[in-house]
Amino acid sequence: MRIAITGKGGSGKSTVAGTLARHAARRGRTVVAVDADPNPNLAISLGMTQESVETMRPILNALLESGHTHNDPMPDPDDLLARFGLGGPDGIVLVATGKIERPTDACLCCGSHNTTREFFAAIPADDRLVVADLEAGLNDLVWARPGPDDMVLAVAEPSAKSVEIARRACRIAESMGVQRILGVANRAANGHDAKSLHEVLGVEVVEVPYDLAVEEADRLGTAPIDADPSSPAVAAIAELADRVEATASLEG
Amino acid sequence: MLSAMASRLAGLRDMEAGVLAITDHPDDDWKRCRGWLGLVRQAGQLLDLAEGSFKGRVARNLSEEATAHKASLRSALHRAESRVATFDEDVRRLARERLGLRLALVGKGGAGKTATAATLARILARRGRNVLAADLDTNPGLAFSLGLPHDTNGLPAEAVEEHEGAAYGWQLASGLSPDDAVKRFAAQAPDGVRYLGVRKIDEPEKQAARQTVIAVLQILRGFSDPAWDVIADLEAGPTTVFEDYHGFADQILLVVGPEWRSALTARRLLPVIGAIPTLVVSNRWRGADDHAGLVPAVRIPFDPAVIEAERLGLAPLDYCPGSPAVAAIEDLAEHLTTSSELTTTQLTTTDQEVSS
Repeated sequence: MRIAITGKGGSGKSTVAGTLARHAARRGRTVVAVDADPNPNLAISLGMTQESVETMRPILNALLESGHTHNDPMPDPDDLLARFGLGGPDGIVLVATGKIERPTDACLCCGSHNTTREFFAAIPADDRLVVADLEAGLNDLVWARPGPDDMVLAVAEPSAKSVEIARRACRIAESMGVQRILGVANRAANGHDAKSLHEVLGVEVVEVPYDLAVEEADRLGTAPIDADPSSPAVAAIAELADRVEATASLEG
Repeated sequence: MLSAMASRLAGLRDMEAGVLAITDHPDDDWKRCRGWLGLVRQAGQLLDLAEGSFKGRVARNLSEEATAHKASLRSALHRAESRVATFDEDVRRLARERLGLRLALVGKGGAGKTATAATLARILARRGRNVLAADLDTNPGLAFSLGLPHDTNGLPAEAVEEHEGAAYGWQLASGLSPDDAVKRFAAQAPDGVRYLGVRKIDEPEKQAARQTVIAVLQILRGFSDPAWDVIADLEAGPTTVFEDYHGFADQILLVVGPEWRSALTARRLLPVIGAIPTLVVSNRWRGADDHAGLVPAVRIPFDPAVIEAERLGLAPLDYCPGSPAVAAIEDLAEHLTTSSELTTTQLTTTDQEVSS
């Protein structure tokens, strides 16, 4: 199964994506983590080193360096994974789609967007779990173009802007034919945050409580699941992983 | 698009006529000097476009229209610079301090760009300045922080037209000058701020956004009024900076939160921003050490009242006007409107380009 994780910048997409991927891998699932942000940093939430964030080569950058042009067909996704994937904790393989580094004449005209679309659409999910952490905002959701077989997680923190962007993400995902859309009420301070998010989104909502351990991990640039495995937010994302696992198992 | 460029050159001539028309009054000297400074900036901006010095698909698209007019632009720039040089240094200083700001806010999502941009815009307006708040984010946000209705819309359909050669296929309507577009289409926001922006993504074809992005950038590149501040709030992350959405600005505010990833993003943005003078704004600051390589010009303290304003979708200036975060943004406003150093640096660069 493929999961696209979307939401406002700073709402907690990467924390949810990284922690969910780790929990799913520990449940025995083969997990491919896709960092679709042209400002890639998912490696941190997955528990990889801070250095790896800068040293890993995203697909688009690596292909362009080796003479690939936009007219060439995109190589097979599993071939790309073998060439550019980076092994992480619990057997997860991480791949980034593209990174904007500096002004350049190289054709990065779509940043990571087009590579995200081509890679996410082409990777066969089979019995793997593909977790894509999208760029902040709605644009990358449109680019990733999830479909009826995919799941979309719309992550929101308790701010009016974040909730409105998640609401739009749900409507956009619906109109793309996505059947499984879940809201994630991140940094929820009380039961009311998740409830009111559910009312606005009109989809089922998973609550991830506000958690000082996550805030501290964010400040230091570490993975919450390693920094404090028993913290309430990490535990809540474990429940999310159970739901995802139940859905994925149904598919065989 | 050449007709659009011709109308901007006409705009420069109007600007020049406007400066010349300022009559002799004790107050006029700095106003006249500011008018010439504005003309220097505007001609320099258009000349940069003509020379293709901006990167990104969108900027290249804008520069195509300007290439046929380099000579006129150089001559306008040179005339205006000669005029500026005729004023005393203290008149020039006063004029520079009162020359409208051209600011763009960039940073990671959630760093606090939008709340800072909106609060700054309203504080400047309360000080009697004319302020245009420009929303370059295809996701909703700036209207919330300004205290506008949440469904406030961006540039209307009548301000844009379909054009085959334009990126995304749309541009500013022919015959509509950037200055007129602001007068006609910028919404009234609290404290007299005017709001103008791209329309928001709400469906998979993102038609509303596609139709308005180029037109809003054309307005920012062409808006010439030297008495107006322009504060633009960019979409999160590096993509729009890579596309040079910030290229109209002569100062950048790089907003960084306390998170390691927010600092990573800021450090990655610096080389993409390019040569434009950049101030680091440390937001939600909690007394911790500053991020390596990012010395803040201003520290906006962590402030639970601002978090609550965000929860409610209210402007910080309405919800918590006396809060420490708002006080820090008042300091930022003070810094931006009294420090002439950065403007001087920019004008010196322009001088060198002209003489070479």
